[in-house]
Amino acid sequence: MTAQFPSTHFETPALAVALKDAIDHAIRQIPPAWPLASSVAVNPFLGQTGETLAEAGARLRAIGGVQVTMPRAWYRERIARSEIASIDLASALAASPHAGKPDSVEALIAQLQEERPAPQPLPSVAMLAADASGTDWPGIMADRIGMWAASYFDQGQALWPAIPGRSAWAAWRTYATHDLTPEIMGLRDFARIVAEAPQDPRLLIARAVETLGLDEAALPGFFHQMLFSLGGWAQYARYKLWQAELAGSTDAIVSDLLAIRLLWEETLFLQHRDVIADTWAKTRAAHAIGESVSIADIVDEIAQEAAERAAQRGIGATLAQGSVQSGADRPALQAAFCIDVRSEVFRRALESADSAIRTIGFAGFFGLAAEHRGFASDIAERRLPVLLNPSVTSVSGGESEVEHDRATRFTLRAKRAWGRFKVAAVSSFAFVEATGPLYAVKLVRDALGLSGNEAPNGPAPRLSPDLPPEARIRAAETILKAMSLSANFAPVVLIAGHGANVTNNPHASGLHCGACGGYSGEVNARLLASLLNDPEVRTGLAARGIAVPADTVFVAGLHDTTTDTVTLYDGDLGDSRPDALRQVRSWLATAAALARAERALRLPRAAGAHDIAHRARDWSEVRPEWALAGCRAFIAAPRHRTAGLALEGRAFLHDYDWRQDEQNDFAVLELIMTAPVVVASWISLQYYGSTVAPAAFGAGNKLLHNVVGGIGVLEGSGGNMRAGLAWQSVHDGEQLVHEPLRLSVCIEAPAEAMSAILKKHPQVRELFDNRWLHLFAINTEGALAQRYSGDLCWQTEGPVRCASGSPA
Amino acid sequence: MIHPFLPLAAPLLFVLVALLATLSPGRRPTWLLRTAEGASLAVIAISLASVWQLIVSGPATSEVLGVGVFGLTIRLDTVSATMLAMIAVIGWVVLRYSANYLDGEERQGAFVGWMSATLAAVILFVLSGNLLQLVGAWMGTSLCLHRLLLFYPDRPQAIRGARKKFIVARISDLALVGAAVLLWQGYGTLDLATILAEARVGTAPAGTYAAAGLLALAAVLKSVQFPLHGWLTEVVDTPTPVSALLHAGVVNGGGFLLVRFADVMLLAPGVLAVLVMIGGFSALLGSLAMLGQPAVKNSLAWSTIAQMGFMIMQCGLALFPLALLHIVAHSFYKAHAFLSSGSAVDMVTAVRRPGPIAVPSGRNVASAFALALAIYAAIGTLYGFGDKSPQAIGLGAILVFGVAYLLAQGLADTAPRQLTRQTALYSLLASLAYFGLQRGSEWLTAGTLPATPAPTSLEWTLIALAVFSFGLVAVAQALFPRWAMHPAAAGLRVHLSNGLYANAVFDRLVGNWSTRTHR
Repeated sequence: MTAQFPSTHFETPALAVALKDAIDHAIRQIPPAWPLASSVAVNPFLGQTGETLAEAGARLRAIGGVQVTMPRAWYRERIARSEIASIDLASALAASPHAGKPDSVEALIAQLQEERPAPQPLPSVAMLAADASGTDWPGIMADRIGMWAASYFDQGQALWPAIPGRSAWAAWRTYATHDLTPEIMGLRDFARIVAEAPQDPRLLIARAVETLGLDEAALPGFFHQMLFSLGGWAQYARYKLWQAELAGSTDAIVSDLLAIRLLWEETLFLQHRDVIADTWAKTRAAHAIGESVSIADIVDEIAQEAAERAAQRGIGATLAQGSVQSGADRPALQAAFCIDVRSEVFRRALESADSAIRTIGFAGFFGLAAEHRGFASDIAERRLPVLLNPSVTSVSGGESEVEHDRATRFTLRAKRAWGRFKVAAVSSFAFVEATGPLYAVKLVRDALGLSGNEAPNGPAPRLSPDLPPEARIRAAETILKAMSLSANFAPVVLIAGHGANVTNNPHASGLHCGACGGYSGEVNARLLASLLNDPEVRTGLAARGIAVPADTVFVAGLHDTTTDTVTLYDGDLGDSRPDALRQVRSWLATAAALARAERALRLPRAAGAHDIAHRARDWSEVRPEWALAGCRAFIAAPRHRTAGLALEGRAFLHDYDWRQDEQNDFAVLELIMTAPVVVASWISLQYYGSTVAPAAFGAGNKLLHNVVGGIGVLEGSGGNMRAGLAWQSVHDGEQLVHEPLRLSVCIEAPAEAMSAILKKHPQVRELFDNRWLHLFAINTEGALAQRYSGDLCWQTEGPVRCASGSPA
Repeated sequence: MIHPFLPLAAPLLFVLVALLATLSPGRRPTWLLRTAEGASLAVIAISLASVWQLIVSGPATSEVLGVGVFGLTIRLDTVSATMLAMIAVIGWVVLRYSANYLDGEERQGAFVGWMSATLAAVILFVLSGNLLQLVGAWMGTSLCLHRLLLFYPDRPQAIRGARKKFIVARISDLALVGAAVLLWQGYGTLDLATILAEARVGTAPAGTYAAAGLLALAAVLKSVQFPLHGWLTEVVDTPTPVSALLHAGVVNGGGFLLVRFADVMLLAPGVLAVLVMIGGFSALLGSLAMLGQPAVKNSLAWSTIAQMGFMIMQCGLALFPLALLHIVAHSFYKAHAFLSSGSAVDMVTAVRRPGPIAVPSGRNVASAFALALAIYAAIGTLYGFGDKSPQAIGLGAILVFGVAYLLAQGLADTAPRQLTRQTALYSLLASLAYFGLQRGSEWLTAGTLPATPAPTSLEWTLIALAVFSFGLVAVAQALFPRWAMHPAAAGLRVHLSNGLYANAVFDRLVGNWSTRTHR
């Protein structure tokens, strides 16, 4: 039997603007997913930041059955234990912008007693066809599309790759015209239908819209649903588009995936039309109406905000204990770390080792957005925040190491040839018979964790091409000012990047430095240290009013967040290595022991500091460290505000002195609010999404992970790729280790300055206006004095004040 | 001398752990995990003592521990001792791995219990001295493993895979029961050693041919041969150590069965010929399907199908010592490959790091094959070709084709000299290693396993066919970058990477994608 397609001719210009807009809308709803070789946290609600949590919840429930808050019991328990106090509930209720909110705290609590039913998505045609035919079409489709997409996106797992360089639509059509599986499963003539589909995927989309009888109003939601159903594949495609847009071009890859998904939908519809036509008509009408925010969504949002306000009381109380003034003496050691929450524990430990130690928090790429090529490597590693384009390029090793580089490459290529021998047809038999018994030795070695990881220690990186002197001086000045480090330099200034130290962990890059694009931070730290040690730069800085004493040495380091050891790259200093480094090493060792002891309390199966080191070498360890789990606050203030406070490794700490920045037109504040704060929001919301909606936004169970294409993981043998955090990364088996709280950003700066920046950057403002982030102004006493309440208004204990002058 | 029942302590220890696990089936069963690892280390010690026992006293079968002829008997010889030692090491590794890997799992204790039970069954199987124990342990292995495959009982993928596995396993159980009954009737005993000794001298009572056929069927089904292989790629939907145990310790049970009954199998040359064809086809299909797999565990599963095919083919060619070597070598390799599969991201990156791959020309490939054959001739002279069976020489040629692939990569015109030297060195070492290992395996099993008989015309044809088809694929593989991405090959890639759709048909036949099947 032949499927009947509408015979209308489609002209490209006839593609209605509405259709194009709907496609674009749907694409923007999907968050990108970076490949695992260099993965960073992504806000899974990136497409919904223009909406409140309740609105996003309604939308995601309709298209994917996603619940965006915790189960109600979670809030009820906190209320029962008084962790969430009535004042939190009352203020969260008062702050709720929704018209249909409960009219009293009592009504709110009463509502919270009711369980919410499991969220039900609007059915797709594939779901309706499954109900009608008794065949699991959504499952078969996920399996088939996954099989193709894994090959299409493969970065080198399979020895026999798909033909490279083709569009997703063209490549899929080739695959699907040959794949007999759908027809074996009962989807008649599918290969022929694919073969006869239009070459232009946009024409297919238009045709499918017509076949399915979709109204304009239904398109955005329906397209979003289609892409959402492709899980990690759509997200990875969205990443490809992201990269293309960052480079100033575009990529049709996401809409190609939409076309693929729609051809399945259309075919299934035509083959089951008789039985599903009525239900489908109702469904598409529901899509056209759109999902409205229910009272339950509002109640959930208020409960979530109350939980966050409870946590904010805690943060405020902690901050109130902070010191008002910093010491003015010249410190013996200044150590700059990444703002990452893991640095907080180590910084506190290091400062406790000696009162002459000061630490600084700054984004871990240290202002050098480097595209780096490692030693004997062709891979351009973007060691920079993913929001930016590279500003410098660097390589490992000087001119003198060229010969060594080449010889190393040849050895690596011989090893690669051996690797291909291992897996190629026929030769794999010879490989197994020749070397199999050797693997008994490897098994024992790895079972005992005898092969450890060395800290990355390639030849010193250098900028290539090098910047002209003027540019180097300007870069050094900008970075030092942004670090609020322009006077009172210590004899030793440590620039410490960070990286994790794990074995056999596909998500290793997610444990590295997010500001360095998912790589460990030593390259950027070494580049900055060498820049700041450059005599020419020093002279230039002095001319610009930043006097670095002649005896000050910048030394790069790498903080191993798994074991808390710090590697110093003092070899880069050559003969100018100061004796003081011996003392620095001893302080670092003291700090490491303290930090390990503190972290061991949180880690399962760690009785004390000595149990930490083995985790880095254990190939069966699924929780080597907790990474950023638990993160809940971002504090930009001088360090003396937070020094010594028990922030429990749950706060991003950025050094910032607004008085210095004031003359600067708050340029540094603008940078902080538009870059590190946004990155921190991605991290916080990734943890949030992976915790509240693990099925939709988490990577699933680590025990079932199956690395696909070198870019992501499948849970099990096929289907959708899974982005986000694994369940083991937020849960210890008995309880959540990440409390799903949206980040509270606390900045010591005038509220007006912050308002001005928000006004200038609507996308950042959106995050705060819709409470994906909370914003506080810290006052001169170190208190959380003012809360940003949206629409450029601030709330103090007293009346609300707005930037525009009108009260809210 | 050590007590003949000593090896029996190994499965008993694991049974004990399995029983203890019922007391602590839940989360973080700390003492159970320690006990399990302690028990598995003790099993390694027992296996070493058993090897010592074998060296000192020679092969032997214990008394029957049970009632009359019904009960447990331990057959200790080179074959069973080798298997015992291998499983002991793998058992320790997977249990130790599971202790940390499953930390926090709600049913970790139960998991350790079922894993220990599976290990106990596998060890009882390889140590079997009588037919009854053999059949019981064979079934027990499969049933215990089933619990591990469905460790997460609600996952549709796992259910689909396990359902097919269950069907295949029950057919293979029936085949093995049938074979056991026929052998018992024919030889009038349950004792394996007696049956094998009788068969060795050519005694073939009525039903022997059928028994060999049923043994072959059981083995082929157990060892995931085409077309009923599909479940293997799907049961990666279970914690990684289960896959390691399954691929390293369970699916090779088919090969072990054939090696164990080598003397009986030799009485049925027609059955062996069929095994060569099924095994050879599965080996080639599996290794070609693997090439197109973009997910690491699926690739490993296809690799197992291929390697098991190769092992079955070796059995079909009556090269039983080599099949035993293959089982051991593959088990260690595959257990390691699964347990370290989390490193796949690093491996993929490492492949891209040192720059483009040098593509060999047709001429380069021709010289690589010539050079490989020259190495073969040289090594053959070194180790002695004279006493080798034509089957072994043919198989050696197949393996040398693999080495040619390695050489070809180094001989590519664009390859720098250092690369050429290094790949040539690797090739030489690989060739020396496997011919050395093969010699060692033949030497160790001489007397225990029957010698390869002189080939008849049927066998000559099969050897020629095998050498030709593997040679053809090897040449195609060496020239791979020159054709694999041609549009004309696109369809071939789709068909092969889907395993010629045998699994899809199996799914359809058992209603695996039905929403109405009870799950």
